[in-house]
Amino acid sequence: MLSMTTTPAKRSLFAALLTGAVALAPAHAETIDVAIIGEADTFDPMMSTKDVVSIVTQHFVETLYTFDSGWNIAPLLATDLPTISGDGKTYTIGVREGVTFHDGSTMDANDVVASLIRWLEVSPRGKGVADRVAEVEATGSHEVTITMNEPYSPLLSLLAFSNSAAAIYPEEIIGDTIDTIVGTGPYMIAEHVPDQYLQLVRFDGYSSRSEPSDGAAGARHQVPDEIRFVPVPDANTRVESLLAGEVAFADGLPAESLARLESSDTADPILLKPFGWPIFAINHKAGLLTDRTKRQALQAALPIDDMLFAAFGDDSFFIVDGPIYPEGWVWRSDAGADMFNQNDQAKAAELLQSVGYDGTPLRILTSRQYEFHFKMAEVAKVALEAAGFEVQMDVVDWATLGQRRNDPALWDIYITHSPFLPEPALTSLYSRTSRLGWSNPDKDAILAAFTTETDPETRRELFAQLQNQVFEDVGFIKIGGFNALMGGAKGLEGVTATPWPFFWNAQVN
Amino acid sequence: MRSYLARRLVGMAVVIFLVLTIAFFIVRLAPGDPAALMLGPEATAEDAAELRQQLGLDQPIVVQYLKFLGNAVRGDLGTSIFFKQPVTQVLLGRAEPTVFLSLFSLAIALVIAVPIGNYAAYRRGSFLDQASISTAMLAASVPSFWTGLMLQRYLATDLGWFPAAGYGGPDAHFWERMRHLLLPSIVLGIVNSALILRFTRASMLDILGEDYIRTARSKGMGEARVVLRHALKNAAIPIITVIGLTFALLVSGAVVTERVFNIPGMGNLVVSAVLRRDYPVIQGTLIVVASLYVLINLLTDLAYLLVDKRVRY
Repeated sequence: MLSMTTTPAKRSLFAALLTGAVALAPAHAETIDVAIIGEADTFDPMMSTKDVVSIVTQHFVETLYTFDSGWNIAPLLATDLPTISGDGKTYTIGVREGVTFHDGSTMDANDVVASLIRWLEVSPRGKGVADRVAEVEATGSHEVTITMNEPYSPLLSLLAFSNSAAAIYPEEIIGDTIDTIVGTGPYMIAEHVPDQYLQLVRFDGYSSRSEPSDGAAGARHQVPDEIRFVPVPDANTRVESLLAGEVAFADGLPAESLARLESSDTADPILLKPFGWPIFAINHKAGLLTDRTKRQALQAALPIDDMLFAAFGDDSFFIVDGPIYPEGWVWRSDAGADMFNQNDQAKAAELLQSVGYDGTPLRILTSRQYEFHFKMAEVAKVALEAAGFEVQMDVVDWATLGQRRNDPALWDIYITHSPFLPEPALTSLYSRTSRLGWSNPDKDAILAAFTTETDPETRRELFAQLQNQVFEDVGFIKIGGFNALMGGAKGLEGVTATPWPFFWNAQVN
Repeated sequence: MRSYLARRLVGMAVVIFLVLTIAFFIVRLAPGDPAALMLGPEATAEDAAELRQQLGLDQPIVVQYLKFLGNAVRGDLGTSIFFKQPVTQVLLGRAEPTVFLSLFSLAIALVIAVPIGNYAAYRRGSFLDQASISTAMLAASVPSFWTGLMLQRYLATDLGWFPAAGYGGPDAHFWERMRHLLLPSIVLGIVNSALILRFTRASMLDILGEDYIRTARSKGMGEARVVLRHALKNAAIPIITVIGLTFALLVSGAVVTERVFNIPGMGNLVVSAVLRRDYPVIQGTLIVVASLYVLINLLTDLAYLLVDKRVRY
């Protein structure tokens, strides 16, 4: 719902109603209050891979590219999609003219070059690609050329992603850290009171694209006067705030609140279906699961459907689906998916016996920060013990999990989840340099081919092979898919259900 | 009196130093890495190590402690890892909601507890006495989060009598912010009234059985005067003690209630700081809370002087 707070705009609307001058009321006179799951750790989206940082910062900083509603790459600060040389190594990117930063300066190629170099040096995702980049240079006042050491097809997705984003800043503010964020986005920061609100106001100098709005691509109409992000860590409190009409949108609502939202006069549920996938991340660097047969035993034993039911309770919130990408996505493939949800503890026991499993505990590192992780682990434990595994549950808080998973000596499986990402290479799970350390010659060759191939159809075929490897070699285990519940005020329009919702086109009818 | 105050102040300094030291080491004993948390799930161990270095968390713990101690003596509690602001500034930002929430809650608790506790003692064994004891037991037994959730759902969301959560937006004036504290204050007031009511009743029962009360009555003094002038005044010391402790507890952060109502006070801050492993904020909060505790205890002891002339320090 739209929260019409007592702003001067609201008072003027009230006065207009009183005088019958409704037609003279300003076209945009609204504040959108958004309840988010917590405070953003930083307003510099280069520095964090957390979704809440992406959600907030995409309103005031922008990237060269973005994604449309079909997850296709579309230009944002770039004039158009880049010109890519025949060998796939050189990207020539036109930069839009007349784009103004919030400090009043005008964006040019030097700002883009300085920003991209910083992204390659400090951003977790940028650093991952830095060794493939030979040079980033301004080849015109509004043209940038990126030269790669070898073709790298996920580059544009990385440049488009709002998470650990290749954000464009004025060259003058670039440094290892940036104290005051200056972007080109449709809104700019007016006030931030930690743990209370982040107030964004319309940037009058904004230069919108002219194409029709389509996902995050196209025109950003700056409909609301203000957008206020309110961190509300407690999920139930987000529900009550939405139902009480205090916020226009609430993110991350518990499944149990669906019935109340459906019967509410003030709010509607927004179900993002599917949102993402729970993951059993496997330690390939050290410990029990460095043995492939034991990994296969693990995969054979897991009752995925029971785990999902225990985790989400209501089958409208999950799907027992093996392929890594859901129906309708270009990356969808059934390769290897027959090994999903085997729920065959006898087979698992045989596999364990064949390698002389000695009862070394299988350490599952999980947290109750996300209750569904814990519930899945509980069900998995029972099935794995039935198969003969000795299971050790290490239930810790999220901060501890974040630390321990960086030490391969401390875990065999840790539980996490991810939204479905538009480009498979945006997740590090497949990479041998990730904390999982998954590596075998076949997989590494397929992955190398996948990331250097530029033909879309060939890339799809290679991804199918990569998915087959995930199942055959048990690189990690996808635990089906799950949906996310959000809520919006009745009449809220212009908000797309996505893992990273944005509000520049939001309004209430 | 002066030497008493001096002794107490020295004691306070020792307590604060101990809390400061224990707080520093205990937060670092807990596992968890603020750098890994801030960078998010896709960041590598190397990314986290780099950020830890930037934050100075890679230095030997003794070096960190000595630096912290030196700064604390000068009133500098460090800089929040998460907010990138001085801890004192972060804490000051939480003072208004916490102080007013505590005052409102205490006022509501006193309005409920003191008259009922006194009357229940005066009418010992009556229906009202039994009912007040049962109600107090109930209020003390029901978790504050449950009371909060119920009142939030029915009084705020369904009936719209109160704001459901938060502390107002950028344009919220003082009274609007105070309006956001009403419902959480009622929750905390109800919960905390139970203890004060029990203490008031018990204290009054003791006093009403004293010889001098019997003497006052035998002299023909009116019941109202006996109760209000003689009994209540003499029953006040235990009541003041429990009020002081209750207030100290409230100021130190009504963790659950602030969380349920999303009030940006000390309780909410400390929970978030623990989850974020924001060591300087956790340390700063513990130091401030400990200081408030000993200060309120001192003020409580001094308040005895006002209500009982026999008390001497």
